[in-house]
This record gives sequence, structure tokens and C-alpha cells, in this order.
Amino acid sequence: MADTKKVVIDKKNKYDRQLRLWGDHGQSALESACVCLVNVSAVGTEILKNMILPGVGSFTIVDGNKVSGEDVGNNFFLTKDNIGESRAKAATELLSELNDDVSGDFVEESAEKLIRANPDFFSRFTLVIATNLCERELLELDSLLSKRNIPLLVCRSYGFIGYMRIVIKEHTVIESHPDSAHEDLRLDHPFPRLVEYCNSLDLESMDQKEHSHTPWIVIVYKYLQKWKESHDGNAPKNYKEKLLFKEFIKQGIRSNKEGFPLDEENFDEAVKSVNTALVPSSMPSVVRKLFEDPCCSNLDAESSSFWILVRAVKEFVDNEGKDLLPLRGTIPDMTADSTRYIQLQHVYHGQADDDVAVVTEKVRKIEQSIAKDNCISDHDIKLFCKNAAFLRIFRSRSLAEEYNNKTANLQEIAQHLGDEDNDDDFVFYVLLRGVDKFYEEYNRYPGVYEDQIEADVLMLKTSVQKILHDWGLNPTSIKDDYIHEICRYGAAELHTISSFIGGAAAQEAIKIITKQFVPFNNTYIYNAMKQSSLTELPQQKHFILVIHNQILKLSVRKQWKSLYIIIKVFILFNIGQMYKIKHLILKSLSI
Amino acid sequence: MAANLSGVLIENTRECVKQSKILVVGAGGIGCELLKNLVLTGFNDITVIDLDTIDVSNLNRQFLFRKEHVGKSKAKVAMESTLKFNPNVKIQAFHDSIMSTEYGLNFFKQFSAVMNALDNRAARNHVNRMCLSADVPLIESGTAGYLGQVQVIKKGLTECYECQPKPTQKTFPGCTIRNTPSEPVHCVVWAKHLFNQLFGEDDPDQDVSPDTEDPELAGDAGKSAMEKEASETAVGGIERKSTRTWATGTAYNPHKLFNKYSDLPKDTKSETGMRDQRVWSIQECSDVFSTCLSKLRDQVHQQGDGVLVWDKDDEIAMDFVTSTANIRAYIFGIALKSRFDIKSTAGNIIPAIATTNAIIAALIVMEGIKVLHGDFDKCKQIYLNRQANPRKKLLVPCALDKPNPKCYVCSSKPEVTVVLNTEKFTVKQLEDKVLKVGLGMVAPDVEIDDGKGTILISSEEGETEENAEKHLSNFKITSGTILKCDDFLQNYNLNVIIAHKDKLEEEKEFVIVGDLSELKATAETPNGVNGGQEENKQEDEDDDLMVVEDPVEEPVVEQRKRKADDTDIEENKAKRMKLTSIPEESEDDVVIL
Repeated sequence: MADTKKVVIDKKNKYDRQLRLWGDHGQSALESACVCLVNVSAVGTEILKNMILPGVGSFTIVDGNKVSGEDVGNNFFLTKDNIGESRAKAATELLSELNDDVSGDFVEESAEKLIRANPDFFSRFTLVIATNLCERELLELDSLLSKRNIPLLVCRSYGFIGYMRIVIKEHTVIESHPDSAHEDLRLDHPFPRLVEYCNSLDLESMDQKEHSHTPWIVIVYKYLQKWKESHDGNAPKNYKEKLLFKEFIKQGIRSNKEGFPLDEENFDEAVKSVNTALVPSSMPSVVRKLFEDPCCSNLDAESSSFWILVRAVKEFVDNEGKDLLPLRGTIPDMTADSTRYIQLQHVYHGQADDDVAVVTEKVRKIEQSIAKDNCISDHDIKLFCKNAAFLRIFRSRSLAEEYNNKTANLQEIAQHLGDEDNDDDFVFYVLLRGVDKFYEEYNRYPGVYEDQIEADVLMLKTSVQKILHDWGLNPTSIKDDYIHEICRYGAAELHTISSFIGGAAAQEAIKIITKQFVPFNNTYIYNAMKQSSLTELPQQKHFILVIHNQILKLSVRKQWKSLYIIIKVFILFNIGQMYKIKHLILKSLSI
Repeated sequence: MAANLSGVLIENTRECVKQSKILVVGAGGIGCELLKNLVLTGFNDITVIDLDTIDVSNLNRQFLFRKEHVGKSKAKVAMESTLKFNPNVKIQAFHDSIMSTEYGLNFFKQFSAVMNALDNRAARNHVNRMCLSADVPLIESGTAGYLGQVQVIKKGLTECYECQPKPTQKTFPGCTIRNTPSEPVHCVVWAKHLFNQLFGEDDPDQDVSPDTEDPELAGDAGKSAMEKEASETAVGGIERKSTRTWATGTAYNPHKLFNKYSDLPKDTKSETGMRDQRVWSIQECSDVFSTCLSKLRDQVHQQGDGVLVWDKDDEIAMDFVTSTANIRAYIFGIALKSRFDIKSTAGNIIPAIATTNAIIAALIVMEGIKVLHGDFDKCKQIYLNRQANPRKKLLVPCALDKPNPKCYVCSSKPEVTVVLNTEKFTVKQLEDKVLKVGLGMVAPDVEIDDGKGTILISSEEGETEENAEKHLSNFKITSGTILKCDDFLQNYNLNVIIAHKDKLEEEKEFVIVGDLSELKATAETPNGVNGGQEENKQEDEDDDLMVVEDPVEEPVVEQRKRKADDTDIEENKAKRMKLTSIPEESEDDVVIL
């Protein structure tokens, strides 16, 4: 008994710094995960290292090869003494030393054989990581895993280029940990408790100390009501009105005997907060989309708790919530006396708890209707409600779809390659595909023999052109320099690049396992020469379209004005797609 | 050894790598990864220095260390572990502080490049200065949780580490801590102060008695503040030491220390779960408080100097702060917190994981290779985001900025203005708080520029000791007085211009300003120097952004709410916003395949 207790304490201390990122529940998800690594490459062992250290449950390595001198040169987890031994065994042994709490296992067989002979072998894993597979093997593994609903992470370290691809049928995230989020204060839709609380305070009759320590939320609420009285019940809508509203609040600052305004920090905060506090409470479009998803409308006993919760929240929004999500229930730090700050906190907490109770009731009803026992815990319902505005869903296409020219995302590809400067790192995606095609044809990678580089350049060029041709794109749209560069790499795996991808891939793997934070979607390219990387996060396009459509609705004069704003917005927002702005200007001019 | 490199790195790069001599400062999270990457990239002459020893909480990421190494020197074990994997390289390890006088200019001059893998600003400042003096390129780095950054620093070509003012750690006004706490953090700070008052080194700034002179202190707040005995505070100008003396006098009796101690409810139930994770009941807090008190009392008696140093990893000290903070929070109706959360706040813990360190260490080596080639125009400052930013970049490479001509470290005539009250500020405070902590000097010599060359502070022990407790005004130091400060080790001369002010905002003792124009600007903004200006500016511009629908969508401006503790990253927030707002190149980043 005493012994087991000691181990627990040890783990707490050992994992202390990471528990602060993903919490206990994240850690236990990680500790019950089994990952499989296909092929021991430097990038493969680096990924495992970065998952073993934080305590992944177990790992299994599949590799049928023996350790070569080249392996030892770039892999920290293979030593000279291992040369000639099984790569899977040697790496498993050295990696296992990293953490006693992680169990390691290996299978001395090639992935290709294993996929054919024992496809069910892979069923037990939470996640499969594949490195150094040729196109054919990769596609076989992809189809096998997607049938079994197991996520696949493909990683590659090739010369100065790093590549990752996540294949996952459906990944839902409750705790997306947004970098910054608007506070959910509902000043535009005050709930009864808030109204009651604000009404219970009277700014006029307060003594000076109380006046200057009234939380700004109360101040903005009160002035907003007064403003509405003189504005047909409307809140300040535009920039001008907001300025006036700020002035209006400033008038509430008390003056001393000499007539100079007193230093009232809470009023300063109120004025500062006007812009954010007046943003209308609304349903995030991402969440609205979830409500429209067939998974939300067609629930059955197989439905995941995520979808049951989405449905319950949808019903809340449609009814009690009056088109708003359950209240988050937190308030920001502000100048206030302890008593009233805490009272205000209770006002928000209380409403949030009430909302959770309503949602819980709905969850239980749904569970009953689809014959699921009381399986979602109260804690999970609360967590879900608190994070309702930040829910994420992620469904990636399979590799089979990507590699089939009929189903490939050609529009996307064309857009990337359309850039005349050819400066987009996407070029390397095409080149890596070309390299695989080369391998398929010649059974070796281009540039591995120094005396054949020139010949290989020509052959690789043909491979790349064939791919582009099959996509219906200009076969010469990739510069020769790039072909030379990739040939020069000779399929060498640089340890530094592997270390980079090893870190980045393990991070994404942990995001997938813990279901926290947002993974990238779905391809990632790292260019070490420029130290740049390229990936995708959903919704970007939607955002641009919204602005674009809004502008087109305005009158020409207003369009000019909004263009000015838009340009400012674009620069401020760091989107950096100047040509899109150019496009917007041209379009507006033509109307 | 690194056979695969031949194809990728061109001949002269490989030669460069082989010939170069690298100093790695720090063998922690980034340091371990860096050593591995350097060795496997073909570097074979590496020196590593770290003064730290291995702790259990390092093992989740510092992969060169094992359980059995806990308590041993990080630098030495890191060297041994690396050599075990690759015995053919030359690695030298020092278990020492890089700020020690042994590592002077000549030590730094022997290296082709210095790579920082540090975790504190003092050492970063110092290495920055040493590298500037020795004209050795420096690659600076830092991580905090999922965030990270790498920056190349080269004298005369790029910004140095200190070109941009860094915000100081967030502090709370004394009256909030003493009289009007509203957040758990206020209670935690109070609890730490109480620890130091009772058992630690005396610091008047950390007096936790309620301030009876506080005009805002309402009667009931005074009553509810469960401070020491009323008679104690009523005296007002009592001698500072008395808190401690008084506590000793009562044998650290919890009932005497906390007026309300006996009123605490006895039968509250604790949450179930692990001791660290759940919130303790008040009953449990009061028991723990009482136990800790007697244990700490015994410790302090046994200790020769009678001084305990608070340490987040010390079980009892941490329990003391947890229970004290929670009791205070309970009395003020503030939410109670778990020991785990309080440890985070009290210990300024920055989360750390292997993955981020691996990425950052790889970036350091890539930049290192460019540095060794002399390709400074290609070097970048790179930020690692938690998730892809709106431009879909996880990595944000930025061009390096030119040196700040007004930088008080790397400009040709460094000077800085310090605002303080010359009548209350002592010479010792000037040395410790302004010159050492604020301005990063290690052993300063200070001469008053009064035409007579009066020596105010000497780095030679004992030479100017009699000055220590005197106020600056005793030396006729007033507004406009120039103090010529010199740090021999850092080879660094700085003119400090004094600006006298009777009272500073937010109970600050002093403010360091780059130049006087800045001083005027800050005088007008209520928030003072610490980033307040940036915030204000940003707020104004927000108005134009109202067109945007869906405010809860992805954050659009790189504006992170971070805890006060991850300063390393925070420091660059303002700068990052500036840099990234200028689109580097036009490209469309969407890759859904």
C-alpha cells in the first residue's frame, strides 16, 4: 500500500509541468493510449521519444529491417553496437529506458507483410504513426485503418523538408483552449439575475469609495439601459455611437470640490471595455454548423457523447437559451471591492449552473430515448457547456481520396501552384509525390548515388511532370531549381529536421489522444531553409467570404469607406494575403 | 559519423560545422535536445554549462536524465549521457553559473557561436552582454508550454536581447494584498509574504499587516482582515522586525496569528480525490496550517541563521502557503483553490513539454548553421504558435530587426533614466534593485559624475560599505545627476540619469525608462511603463474591427491572454504584433488534401 502511494506521488511530480497544460484527464487519456510506429527512422524514434517522456501508455514498433551504419548516423536511439541487430528491437530497448511507466513492444516484421497477414494487429492501437512507407504500402495501411476508425499520422523527414499528414475520420474537440476569447457577459441579453443584481445597486447614493469600486460590468449595464431609453431601445451600433456612449459613461465620473474629475479606475475600465462588451452575443458559426450536422439530428445508441451533448445544447439554444449558448459563467478580473466582485461572480456562476442543469435534463432524456444508460457524467456536461462556444470538429479526407486524381482537391492544388513566383512551400508537396513516383518506377530515391544526380534530375522531372499532367495542370509549373534541390537531398534524413518533425508530430499526436487543443488540418510542410511552415486551420475562407459579401451589399461610397477599413483590418489581422485585397479593390471598382 | 549529411549539407557547411566550437548555456529542456541535435549534425566541440541539479519534474522532457540522476549536476549528466551515445565528440561540462566571474571575455571569445537554452532573464541579459562584448554571435531561445521562439543576435547587425524593453513581472498593489483581496492570487501572494514574515528574510515590502494609514480602508475591512492582534497594528509605526519577534513570542500559536482561526468551521467536508487536485475543506486547511506552523517553527529554530527560504518544491512550505491562502480566501469569500493550482501561482510555474523543446532546439541548430556561415541576412527570429495562426502558420519567421539606437545595452553610448525618490532610496537599494535586478549588472562600480569622481558603489568588497544605508540625496544626487556605472565582467558602461519624483504610481519604488521622451509619454498614461501603452493603442484601433462577424471565431490579432508567469514569451508580444502585422510575402496557405 505504502509503495503504490509513493509511485503516485512520483508521477505527479514527474508530470507536473505538463499537467498544467492538459490536466489530469488529459494525462489519463495519454496514459491509456497505445501507439504504433511503423518503421524506425530518426523521425519515428524522435516522435516516440516525445510521447514516451510525457508518459504515453504503451508503444509498439513494427520494422523488419536490421540496423545499418546510416541509421546510427542520424538516430539517437540506435548505437554502433546495434549494427546488424533488429531495428525494431534495438530502438524499443533504448526508447524504453526513457520512462519506466511506459511499456514498449516490437514486431520484427515489415509493415507490408503484417498488413496482409494480420490486418487485425492494428485494431488495438489508439493511433498509428507511419514513416518511410512507399506510396503503395501507405495506401494499404490507410484503407486498413480507416475501416477500423483508427487515426493515422504520416511523417517524413526528407533533406531540408519535413512533412506531416493527419488522417482521421472524425475528431471532435471540446477543450480547444482558444488563445483569446470574448468574455461571455450578455450585457445585450441580460439574464434576470444580472438585471436584479444591477438594479439592487444605486450609483447615485453610493459613498465615494463604493462608487469607485463598483464593478465596470454594472456600470456599463446601467449606462446601457439609460442609453437605450433615449435611443428607441437600441444599443450603440456604430463607431460614432460607441464614442458617444463612452463619453456618456465618462460623465458619470464624480468630481471633487474643485470640479476636477476624480480618479475612478472602474469607470476607466468601463470605457475601455465598451467595444468588447457591446459585441452582440451570438452563436458562433462553427457551433451552428455542428447543429446542422446529420450526426446531431440522427442520434442512436452508437452516437458518441459529443453528439449527444451537441444535440442537448442545440435543444437548449432552440428553447430556453433563446438562440444563445449556455452561459460560460466567468467574469474577467476588474477593479472592485471583494464583496461585490464575488457577488457578481456568483450571479454569473449561478446562471451558468442553471443552464447546465437544463442541459443535463435534456441529456438524460436523449440518453433514455436512444436507450443509452446514464453514461455522460455531470462533470462532462458542465465542461461541455463551459466550452460550448469553442467546440471543434475535424474530419479529414483519406489518403485514398487524396491520391486518386478524380477525388483529389485539385482546386486547392491549382491555387497553390498558380502563384507565379512559385514561392509557396506547397511545391514541396508535389516534389515529395514526385519522389514517390520515382521510387515506384526505379525502386530507389533520386540522387542517392552522387554520380547519377544529373540523370536523376531529368527522370524526377518527368515524374513530377506526369503528376502535374494527371492533375490537369501545367506540367512545367515547377521550377528546375526545386527539382535539383530535392535530388541533391538524395533521400537523406537530417537529424535536425527529424527532431523538428518529431516534436511537432508528437504534439499533434498528443492533441489527438487527449482531445484537447486544435490539431492542424490536414497537411503540414516545414521548409528548414526558410524556417517556414504551411498548414491549414478551418474557417479561414469562410471569414474572408463574409467580409467580401458584406462589402458588395453596400453602396459604392460606403464601399470605398469599408475598403479602407478592410485594408486596415487585413493588415492588422495579419492575414497577409495582399493579392486578395487587390482582388477586392478591383472588384469594387468594377461595380 | 553523421553519414547522411553528405548529400544535404554542402561541403563547406560540413567543414564549418566540424571546425566550430559551440557554447551551450543551460542543460535543461532545450539544452538536452540541443546537445543531441548538435552531435548528430556533426558538431564535435561543445561546451555546456548549467548550475542546476536534476529534479524529478525535469524527467518528463529532459531525456538525457533518468530517475537515478536526480540531485546530480545537469551539465555533467547531460555530457555523460550524450557521450554514451556518441563517444567521438568532445564535450566539456561545467556545473556552474554562467554569471560567475570565471567566465569572462576570454572564455566567450573562444567560441564560434553561443546558444542559449536558459530559463531566466538575468542570465539571458548577462550572456547577451558577454556576447556583445566578445562579438560572438548568440542564438537566443525560450519556450513556455506550447509556445516558443528563437532569435539570432549579432553585434551591430541585429537587435540585442535587451533592445526592446521587457515588461517586469506583474505585481499587485500592496493595499490589494493587505486589505482588499478579490482574487485567489492575492491570497496566495499574501500567504507567501506571511511565510517570509514569519520564517524568511525580512522584507518591508512584504509586510502583510493591514495598512492603517490606507485612506480607503473601511472599518469593516479592517475588522474582517484576520491579521495579527489589534494592539500590534494599532501602534502603527512599530519596528518591522516585530512581526517576527512577536510571532516567536507567542510560539507561533495559530490562534494568536489568525484572530479568526477559532471561528473557522470545523465540520466542512473535503472533496474526494487526490490531495493535490481537490480543494481542501476549511477544516483541512486549518489542520494543515497548524501542523505546518509547528513544523516550520522547529525548522527555523534548528536553522543557524533562523531564515527559511520559500520553495515551491518543499512539501511543508507549499502546504503552508496552500492552507494559509485558502483560509484567507475563505474569510474574504473568494474561491478556494487546489494545492496544484496554488503551486502554479505561487511558484510561477511555466508549463513545459518535450515536444516544444524538440522543435525549438531544431530551429536553433538550423539558425546556427546560417550563423556559422556568416549568412546573417538569412537569419530569422522565429515564433512557434500553439496552433496555426490565421495565416495557417505554426511557425512565424520574421526578419531580424536592426539594433535599437537607443538601447541601453548595445548602443554606442548607453544611457538610461531611472525615476525614483532620492530622499527615500538608499545606495543599497540602487545597487540591488536597480543595477542588479533592473539593469542586469553583476558587479557594478558606480561613480557620480559630479566633477569630483565620487565613488558611490565599488565592486571591491568593503570599499563602499558605509554608503549602503545612506539615501541618494545624502550624496547630492537629484534630478539630472548622472551616475557612471561600470560592470567590469560584462565590459559594460552605462550612464544612469536620475529623475527625482516624490511618489510613483502603483506604489512602485522606481521606474526605468529608456530615454526622456519615453518618460513623458508614460507620465500621461495611467498604466505606467509595463506594456500599458501598447494596450491602449490597441484598444483604440479595435473600433474599426467591428465589421467582423462571429467574434468567437479564431483569434484574429495575435493577442494571447497569458498568465503573468510566462514572461519569456510575453516579453515579445508587443514586438511580435508589430512584426507580424507587416505581411512578409503574399501566399495562400490552405492545404486540405
